[in-house]
Amino acid sequence: MVLALQIVLIVSSVLLVLLILLHRGRGGGLSSLFGGGVQSSLSGSSVAEKNLDRLTLFTAAIWVVSIIGTGLLVKVGA
Amino acid sequence: MLSAFRAALTTPDLRKKILFTLGVVAVYRLGANIPSPGVSYPNVQECLRQVEGSENAGIYSLINLFSGGALLQLSILALGIMPYITASIIIQLLTVVIPRFEALKKEGQSGQNKLTQYTRYLTIALAILQATGIVSLANSGALLGNCPGIIPDDSVFNLAVIVIVMTAGTAIVMWLGEQVTEKGVGNGMSLLIFASIAHRIPAEGMNILNNAGPLVFAGVCVFGLAIIVSVVFVEQGQRRIPVQYAKRMVGRRMYGGTSTYLPLKVNQAGVIPVIFGSSLLYLPDLVARLVGNDGGWFQQFVQTYLVDQSNWLHILLYVALIIFFTYFYVGITFNPEERADEMKKFGGFIPGIRPGRPTAEYLNFVLSRITLPGSLYLGIIAVLPNFFLGVTGSGQNQNFPFGGTAVLIMVGVGLDTVKQIESQLMQRNYEGFLR
Repeated sequence: MVLALQIVLIVSSVLLVLLILLHRGRGGGLSSLFGGGVQSSLSGSSVAEKNLDRLTLFTAAIWVVSIIGTGLLVKVGA
Repeated sequence: MLSAFRAALTTPDLRKKILFTLGVVAVYRLGANIPSPGVSYPNVQECLRQVEGSENAGIYSLINLFSGGALLQLSILALGIMPYITASIIIQLLTVVIPRFEALKKEGQSGQNKLTQYTRYLTIALAILQATGIVSLANSGALLGNCPGIIPDDSVFNLAVIVIVMTAGTAIVMWLGEQVTEKGVGNGMSLLIFASIAHRIPAEGMNILNNAGPLVFAGVCVFGLAIIVSVVFVEQGQRRIPVQYAKRMVGRRMYGGTSTYLPLKVNQAGVIPVIFGSSLLYLPDLVARLVGNDGGWFQQFVQTYLVDQSNWLHILLYVALIIFFTYFYVGITFNPEERADEMKKFGGFIPGIRPGRPTAEYLNFVLSRITLPGSLYLGIIAVLPNFFLGVTGSGQNQNFPFGGTAVLIMVGVGLDTVKQIESQLMQRNYEGFLR
């Protein structure tokens, strides 16, 4: 049981990293970190980006649930 | 001030953004407290209690500061924002070295996007490295000062799961930060750092109150407030170089003829030099630990002079590094020749100085002189907590909330965020927070 959850965890983690890397970066790098200029991005996000958001959230939910699941199993079982 | 606050909350658009930001910060703090799978939570807590008393946590104090205590708990978001910061620093430095990166930087928005994308790839790579390092340290018991039993089942598969989960956690932190930048208020990454630092303040305050009594506590509070005020004062300080624009006719309309100013901040570099400096200073210690505990001359030298934060050599070296990096970073970000060329192109000039090369030389002269007090100020604020070792009574003085890196970051991020909210408010009415 724990092994199955761990495998789910690995798959969802890798998927999560890939999905997040697929996003367009909005960080702006270091220049806007710690007190850069005031800038507002007026451009909205595209449909593809929105679907990607939804997929990411879904994967993240699976990820969190499986983490908590393994934690509980370790505590109760072992 | 209060009415402006109400206005910010009654504007539906802005209220949504502020609530979104608060929600993301809440999710981040929640994640920072969930232990990784396979890590024994009771054992970690037990070890943490032992470490708090001793002086051993010094080496990771900066990373732990940025992750808000999540690192030493080995939570799923243990690495926090640190890999992203390191990646941005590396990419920023590489723009000086690699011609292709420099070309991308000059290309404008699309080039900048590409650089951001590189930063993100590098973040994941660094996250894998750091997660592996931390997990192996924790497994051998060296992370929390020779405290075994943190990871009960230390098979390779189990350790690999922890590393992968931590890497994914870093990706999530990066994504949360980007979401805040896009849909919320302020810069997401710096707000997350802000949250991690700020949540320690009550605990540290209690620590001082319990250890040193109410009188010292009150003194520290007053002193902290004075430091915050002075930091705000210097952060807002700028030299305004007057710039006159020539009148010109385009069609039937008249443009220009205005006189504005070019603001040069006293502290142009922000807190970045402090972060560079402290990262470099803890590198030798890291190397010494990786080499092994044989107690050679190198290790002894590092232990006595570099790790001990109240040692004069440590303080001196730290200040020198900060001053150097301030000049270095200002040199990277502000290019006087480019600025002079831009001014010339739009028909502007500084009164009394000819456009072109003389203007660039003048800007360079003013900038290098104004940066000196800026860098000295950064250095002094950063080493200030080192003199308070006796008051806090613990080795983690970089985490001391009323001085050093913590105050610099908090004030910088706070000012920036308030300015952004204000500019949003300005779109509706002219009353703001800052008069």
